[in-house]
Amino acid sequence: MSGCPYFQRRHQLINKLDEEVDDSQEGTNKASKGGIIYGDYLQLDKIVTSQLLQSELKGNKIHDEHLFIVTHQAYELWFKQILWELDSVREIFISGHVRDERNMLKVNTRIHRIVMVLRLLVDQFAVLETMTALDFYDFREYLSPASGFQSLQFRLLENKIGVCDSGRVPYNRRHYRDNFKGQESELLLRSEQEPTLLQLVEKWLERTPGLEEDGFNFWGKLQTNIFEGIRKEREATEKMPDSEFKEEKMDELNKQKDLFVSLFDEKRHEHLLSKGERRLSYKALQGALMIYFYREEPRFQVPFQLLTSLMDIDTFMTKWRYNHVCMVHRMIGSKTGTGGSSGYLYLRSTVSDRYKVFVDLFNLATFLVPRDWVPKLSPNEHPFLYTAECCDSSYFSSDDSD
Amino acid sequence: MSGCPFSGKEYQFKITYSTTEEEDDSQRGIDKAAKGGLIYGKYLQLDKILNAQALESEKRHSKSHDEHLFIVTHQAYELWFKQVLWELDSVRELFIQNHVPDERNMLKVVSRIHRITVILKLLVNQFAVLETMTPLDFFDFREYLFPASGFQSLQFRLLEIKVGVADNRRVPYNRQHYRENFHGQESEDLLRSEQEPSLLQLVEKWLERTPGLEEDGFNFWGKLQANIEEGFKLKMQKLEKEPDSERKEDMLQDLKKQREGFTSLFDSNHHDDLLRKGERRLSYKGLQGALMIYFYREELQFQIPFQLLNSLMEVDTLMNKWRYHHVCMVHRMIGSKAGTGGSSGYHYLRSTIGDRYKVFVDLFNLTTYLVPRDWVPKIEPQH
Repeated sequence: MSGCPYFQRRHQLINKLDEEVDDSQEGTNKASKGGIIYGDYLQLDKIVTSQLLQSELKGNKIHDEHLFIVTHQAYELWFKQILWELDSVREIFISGHVRDERNMLKVNTRIHRIVMVLRLLVDQFAVLETMTALDFYDFREYLSPASGFQSLQFRLLENKIGVCDSGRVPYNRRHYRDNFKGQESELLLRSEQEPTLLQLVEKWLERTPGLEEDGFNFWGKLQTNIFEGIRKEREATEKMPDSEFKEEKMDELNKQKDLFVSLFDEKRHEHLLSKGERRLSYKALQGALMIYFYREEPRFQVPFQLLTSLMDIDTFMTKWRYNHVCMVHRMIGSKTGTGGSSGYLYLRSTVSDRYKVFVDLFNLATFLVPRDWVPKLSPNEHPFLYTAECCDSSYFSSDDSD
Repeated sequence: MSGCPFSGKEYQFKITYSTTEEEDDSQRGIDKAAKGGLIYGKYLQLDKILNAQALESEKRHSKSHDEHLFIVTHQAYELWFKQVLWELDSVRELFIQNHVPDERNMLKVVSRIHRITVILKLLVNQFAVLETMTPLDFFDFREYLFPASGFQSLQFRLLEIKVGVADNRRVPYNRQHYRENFHGQESEDLLRSEQEPSLLQLVEKWLERTPGLEEDGFNFWGKLQANIEEGFKLKMQKLEKEPDSERKEDMLQDLKKQREGFTSLFDSNHHDDLLRKGERRLSYKGLQGALMIYFYREELQFQIPFQLLNSLMEVDTLMNKWRYHHVCMVHRMIGSKAGTGGSSGYHYLRSTIGDRYKVFVDLFNLTTYLVPRDWVPKIEPQH
């Protein structure tokens, strides 16, 4: 039988296709009557005429340079979008509007949106990877010394999320400001001085209901429960007949005890903070752990989603860096970068926890405990579970926080 | 106590990362850019790109946060459309300039068509970003957009036309109105793209030249027809010898149907009829060339051409997926409301899904005619 899917019913289909004027085909063409047009709205005259090949300018047009240009322009467009979302969220915190918990949906949605864009940006490498190293070689010489080091938006993004200057690898720390002058340099400076997402989230975490020592006292109760729990397990293990298994178990329990002793050691936390290995304050850490343990309480559900999304941001930024490294290695091997860095080797050094802003949220998983060790909460005894703060008089459900 | 030891400059700690503070090779280098020369931002004309976002809602003093996402998403799509057109035109040019008989250019052709598919895949994934906008948030600024509409995307139409979407296959509303949106230079560009050879037409001519089709040479088609007839005859004979049963009857019926199908394959009048109706798009000879490449794909000279045929089908598949994702999102955003450009909106878009806009539909349908390997005419090494 013929492959054509219309073959057997072709008579019906001819008539139907040609004369089908069902509702889906109704309508008038409004645009031809004037008014704002798609191309003007999107200022396509600017967007679509911004691709000038250096290789062509120098009389040796290389086809693949167009892809190189467009890929970077797409990245910068999306960086702008991320900054738009990031700044709006920071503003909600800075203005204090975040205290009205009805604004949390907006915060969460926008942080999640940033994650979705980052996901796309990680996938986008596959497009540039269709360029071979050989084709890149044909026009790379015309690019020097332009370099991604001069991407202002990328630096603003790092700073506003919370990458700490002292956390940057030496070459980065030494040179990253040199690339920007005048207005750009001012913007960069301001992004270092204004509250970062990390700092704002930290303050918010410190305010987590339930931490109050004269209230629910989560931390005190947790500490009691954990050491009680370990003690009981110890006793049970002691009672066992001697064996290799018993020795291993005792060993584990000892390690576990040391681990939790360190968790409740505030001085130790301050020490790690000063080394940059922790980024959140001690109180904020407690707030985060509280949200983890009580995430199913209605008041903590959206906050829990927020913490997850913040870790996603770090994850995708790291994946972005890693994909970038792999591609650069393929493209230029061990050659130095156009901006003057060691190239691939430099980039590889930035794929590390040093640039992980919310590293503490990841590390909290080290301190998870069995559910029954978690201090019990009951809505009757602890009304803070269901009374959200909504006292911000400036809140309107249609209000835009910008 | 704040997290960052440097905020407020209260502490003058020097953070020491003991292991990584080593000045190993990775941290060497100078900063070249500070000495002047081509700068990233100038090279990419970021002053234009990053200053092209003007919210209509803001102009009307009712600034809607999500409108920025709406604008940037569309601008990203248009940037990538430009890139796809860049690749597409370069491939069409290779065919038009007749550089393709030099088989060394085939790698370029295949790489660039494949690149188009990678971009289209990204564009399909890109919907997930816009889908983070809720219909309620969209409603807050949609009124300011009228009558701007995707119908006015010149690059999208150029893309359709240059790949090979046939005018008479467009759904009625599309066919009637799609040109009206463009005036002046844009209208000329559109007209020119309709008159110049499309990718489909160029590929068709290339397929017609597939070595092995020559009737006074290898005569693939003649040999294939003979082998298929012989193959069916043998199968029939074998089946007839079986004892009578209901199963035998069913199998005989199936075999007869299959044979009829192949008979129609070798009926050039039937093909021309379907061509006229637009249900087939390739010429009869083009079809033969494609089937030849399928059957002999492992031969050295057909390996890359086979990859090309697969990539062409991938382009159709991804364009269709793009349309489908678009439909789903529009349905969620505006339900059954009319589009800003005046069409019926979701219903109109839904009518564009399917085979009508599938340019390389014949390549898909060819798999109907696959035969057992031993029916395929043998190639002698000297061919």
